[in-house]
Amino acid sequence: MIELETVKPFFTDKDELLDEILGRYPEYGRRSAIMPLLWEVQRAERHVSEARIEEIAEILGMHATEVKGVMSFYSTYHEQPVGEYHLQVCSTLSCSLAGADEMTDFLVEELGIVNGETDAEGRFSLQKVECLGSCGTAPVLQVNDTYFERVTRTRCVQLLQALRSGELPEPWRERGGDNVSAEKATLGGDDA
Amino acid sequence: MSDAVMGEPTPIISRKDPRYQVTMYRHVGVDGAWTLDYYSSHGGYRAAKKAIADMGVPDVIAEMKASGLRGRGGAGFPTGVKWSFMPPVDGRQRFIVCNADESEPGSFKDRYVMEDDPHQLIEGMLIAGYAIQASIGFIYIRGEYHLAYERLLQAIREAREAGYLGSNLFDTDFSFDLVVHRGAGAYICGEETALMNSLEGLRGNPRLKPPFPAQAGVYGLPTTINNVTSFASAVHIIDKGAAWFSAMGTEDSKGTKLYQISGPVARPGVYELPMGTTFRELIFDWGGGPSMEIKAFIPGGTSTPMLPFSDEYLDTPMDYGSLAKLGTMLGTGGVILIPKEKCMVDAMYNIVRFYAHESCGKCTPCREGVSTWLPKMYQKLLAGLGEPGDLELMEEMVTNMRGTAFCPLADACAMPVQASFKHFRPEYEYLVEHGEPMYPKRSWWQE
Repeated sequence: MIELETVKPFFTDKDELLDEILGRYPEYGRRSAIMPLLWEVQRAERHVSEARIEEIAEILGMHATEVKGVMSFYSTYHEQPVGEYHLQVCSTLSCSLAGADEMTDFLVEELGIVNGETDAEGRFSLQKVECLGSCGTAPVLQVNDTYFERVTRTRCVQLLQALRSGELPEPWRERGGDNVSAEKATLGGDDA
Repeated sequence: MSDAVMGEPTPIISRKDPRYQVTMYRHVGVDGAWTLDYYSSHGGYRAAKKAIADMGVPDVIAEMKASGLRGRGGAGFPTGVKWSFMPPVDGRQRFIVCNADESEPGSFKDRYVMEDDPHQLIEGMLIAGYAIQASIGFIYIRGEYHLAYERLLQAIREAREAGYLGSNLFDTDFSFDLVVHRGAGAYICGEETALMNSLEGLRGNPRLKPPFPAQAGVYGLPTTINNVTSFASAVHIIDKGAAWFSAMGTEDSKGTKLYQISGPVARPGVYELPMGTTFRELIFDWGGGPSMEIKAFIPGGTSTPMLPFSDEYLDTPMDYGSLAKLGTMLGTGGVILIPKEKCMVDAMYNIVRFYAHESCGKCTPCREGVSTWLPKMYQKLLAGLGEPGDLELMEEMVTNMRGTAFCPLADACAMPVQASFKHFRPEYEYLVEHGEPMYPKRSWWQE
């Protein structure tokens, strides 16, 4: 308990945010706020610590164990802090067919960490994840919240260089398929 | 054309048909299409106004039923019929929920719609909310879709300011507002009862059905859940009429649908095509053809059993009935091409590993079969340690997983494994016999 008291509660001076989140759900559905509250903490602190779990439980009138039980079900909440740049390589079929396994090997080599690890400086974490819904623009590498699509070896090298100099580049947003604007002109339609 | 001769217009089953119009996906990829300014200058909220101000609730549901739209999330249940399952209005809160937890490998249509055309989803939910008389809608979006989440929040703010969300919409008694709820990396939450648990702040385990969501849904209250593109379809059905929609497609599959193609193909991506379009048209005419030799294709997301890449199967119309006849499914319409040089056992291990990772562990066939023994068997084979009897054991395991689990996840894993045995058993046998795959490991990464 002594340790917990020394940590300043996360939501102390965030009344507005807290009200907004709790206000999304009906009174009888207060518990629904668990996931958004966990997201807020993780976004700011790159993980959700025991102290924050206790705090969220208190806000929602639940036991910490219950919050932890929910949190542990989902794969994108972290109990340990991830690095400043959390590299998530989609390794499911379409990405694998576009070189995701080789990209993972490359990153392991470059960063000196394996799947699930964070480097000693806390800069990079590497994680193989399952389908990110970017199969048409594979392989995809998610850095924190941002998707980088069609990551060729050249692009991967460039991206890593940028991140190492402390810069998160503009995302490569690829489309393909019907997204190609030039083709839109030929689609017809009367909605103008 | 033949219309005059036949008297009855022929259905549109190809995008090459000059009568075909792209609707749902028309604005995706256009810069700024996500703003209300853009959306309203392209006919935005016209359909919602028509439904809410000019049509009675039974008329909206009748129109949806007449359109023949079937749920675009994969199961293909008729949307209008689903809406009609809601109990009579009795004063209890009712909910409309959008399943935007798109996670079936090979599927990526919903992400683009939400990123680039979020108002279309809002408008579809307004129409559905009105039809089932719900005043609150939830959009359950997977946590990884961050840009889509931001764009949706922005679009909801704009819609509120413009009076498309809130009280007394279009000068009627109808009020409606939306809440966006982010998932956190769990495929199983795309199963509607697991989604509801997750939305309620519980672990995402599936619930027993019945009761169905219309009877006891979110917080035990009447709820209807649809996929992103089912809502998007509703906008155009109301706008252009059920007859326009049902003039496209085949007997059991009407309208237009977002198909996706990925794997080694010249132009991978999302294509909006009339239902009943053939795989050949998608792969060759729109996808630009394979970029390497192909041996198999997955018709609609990894849970749908694969088919050999041959003339016999390529001319199959992409509709519910035609695929069911071949022992597979339309699923999400996410086609994946599997190149000849990819070891089929390795490709299947990739798929099995996905379902193993996503199993919630609630029931035995899935926890022990999908999540534990099946991936172990694949690891054994791929390590070159396969023994006589292993393949028979694997086949027996997947047979025992079929239809015995609490939710469809175990079937989603077992069915594609069975298909790979059916069509590519020689590759398994080669691996067991030689201790190495018929097609050795190579790099797939482009420079």
